[in-house]
Amino acid sequence: MDTPNPPGQLSGGDATPGTVAPSPSSERVWRAGRLEPMPIRKLPDAPPSVHVLGPTVFLVALGVGMGESYMWPRLVLLFGPEIRWLFLIGVTLQAVVMLEMARYAMATGESIFFGAARVFKPIMWFFFTVAILVYIWPGHLSAGAAALEEMTGVPWTVSACVGLILVGVVFSLAKVIYNLLENVLSLLIGLLVVGTAVVAAMVGTWSDVVSTITGMFHFGYFPSEALSATWFPIVVGSIAFAGPSGMQQMWYTLHLRDSGAGMGAHIPAVRGLRHAGEEEQMPSRGFMFDTDDADEMRKWKGWRRWVTFDALLLFWGVTMLVTVSFTVLAQAASRQSPNVKALLESGEREAALNAMSDSFAAAGGPALGMVFLGFIALIGLNATLGLFDSFSRGQADMTYHFVRGAKRFRMSHLYAGFLWGVIVFGILVLLFGPADGPGAILDVLAFLSTFAMGAYCVVLLLVNNRMLPKPIRPRLATNVIIGFGAVFYLGMLLYSLVRFGVVVS
Amino acid sequence: MRDRLELAVPGAVVGAVGGLVAGVLAAVVGQPYAWAATVSLGLAVPLGVFGGVLGLLLGSGRVRMGVFAPVALFWLVGFPLARLVGEVFTGAVLGGRVLPDDVVGFLAYQGIVSFGWSLGFLWLHERIAPHWLDRVRSGNPLAQRWFERYAAHARVLRAARR
Repeated sequence: MDTPNPPGQLSGGDATPGTVAPSPSSERVWRAGRLEPMPIRKLPDAPPSVHVLGPTVFLVALGVGMGESYMWPRLVLLFGPEIRWLFLIGVTLQAVVMLEMARYAMATGESIFFGAARVFKPIMWFFFTVAILVYIWPGHLSAGAAALEEMTGVPWTVSACVGLILVGVVFSLAKVIYNLLENVLSLLIGLLVVGTAVVAAMVGTWSDVVSTITGMFHFGYFPSEALSATWFPIVVGSIAFAGPSGMQQMWYTLHLRDSGAGMGAHIPAVRGLRHAGEEEQMPSRGFMFDTDDADEMRKWKGWRRWVTFDALLLFWGVTMLVTVSFTVLAQAASRQSPNVKALLESGEREAALNAMSDSFAAAGGPALGMVFLGFIALIGLNATLGLFDSFSRGQADMTYHFVRGAKRFRMSHLYAGFLWGVIVFGILVLLFGPADGPGAILDVLAFLSTFAMGAYCVVLLLVNNRMLPKPIRPRLATNVIIGFGAVFYLGMLLYSLVRFGVVVS
Repeated sequence: MRDRLELAVPGAVVGAVGGLVAGVLAAVVGQPYAWAATVSLGLAVPLGVFGGVLGLLLGSGRVRMGVFAPVALFWLVGFPLARLVGEVFTGAVLGGRVLPDDVVGFLAYQGIVSFGWSLGFLWLHERIAPHWLDRVRSGNPLAQRWFERYAAHARVLRAARR
């Protein structure tokens, strides 16, 4: 591995020859790894107010899914609210990971995949391969589409296929995909949050919410039943699914860039296929700002405040709210109908969600049951929109920068290629194959998804501590937390495998 | 007066939409309209009124736009009261108990839920308000001033991208 510049110093001259972006020999650059050095540019000013909307909406859309609405309510009903301390650790860890992902993306305008390639290119190819193996299966559509079937009677495979085609068409027609998606997801998540609050207000009780919240502070609680071959892998999987799981945090760096945060302002946004011709030339690497300049550092602190607000209030807050609300709903449902608890225990996801809906209908009128199913469908829709965009964005970014000859195409073409590829494959699998992936490799996919989370913690440590100038590197405490994350994810995964012979569930 | 009322529209709409969710879905799936309408009214009207008042505070600059804490404080009081009004209304119209058994516990619980509601409210309000203000600002100087604050913010963001 190449050594970067001496800490805190930027060097001038010799950008790699033959690159797309013009790089005069006198230009000051920041060298990071063996790849092309980053030219020094001005850091734009951070938004003047701590504004409520940001690219975190994507992370929330991806992260608030089955973990929050099903897996954690299930664990609470089975092991008591005290088990939620593990959720608190999982989500808080993810908030710190988010801030560290943002550090690299905002400082350079590069994705974390590019950062990984600067450290050691095979690491990036590992993530490229894991993304294809794990995320091309359309199984994530099933929960939302099944809820829609329960509401409307339309078979779930039909609505899932129609939904897939619609997503492809809309994303292809959009002028700037990021803007379209931020608008749509903001409205959907806004509705979800407002609606969840209203339903929780109608169904829950004071004691439910007290036990749910105080349960988060029973650090160390671990009932003996949870330490079994049946439940331990599920607990580990639930911790991994607290907030964004798998590679979702890595994709967040691409959304941050397209939103124009930090040095991402110097990188053009990805356009829909119909407007691909209007896309500006994508630079062959990111940029760095002058960390020796006090004014630039002042602006950097402004950006860090902005993203910290995003991480704490929007990401941590919304994830907590939805989980607390759904846990309260599950507790209320199990009081109404003991059947709910039995179904949750047996792992019958769709049946358990339907039973919860029925119990709300019995408690607060038929509308409440429908509202609950509507939320499950909405969560599924959010996750699907976010996932398809993120997968295509990540693969297009890696292909454009690191596959020989790919720069002949525009980023928008590559994005559209991956998008339609995953849509066509998804439809074929929905019609003819196993939606979650072939049964024989399900364990491998579950393993890879959690392994990627431990791996990206290691990548974050390497990238942020070796590829960034010293004044903007993470502090020791942050490094310790991210290091803990790596040990936590990889350790639990391997313990589950070695002790029980089972990967996460 | 009309100028001020127009400022209240986005907040009132977001507040009312939250309350209407349950009733609309009930009507869609074929439940008795009277039942759906009562639940909707009981929630949508008080939430809409409080949302409108908050919109006025935001529009007049008394509450800083896009910032969470003052909005959360407002709803910490407003949301439990709106829910209490809704409970009393629904109980009175449909028959049954009018007040919750434990009013203090009820209000405390609604206070906690109000944080989530505040987040969703602010999120949606910030999406809707600029579009609405753009529509009405030509004949409404108050809306024009509020719109200018959004526009200034957008200009700074656009300048940053260049």
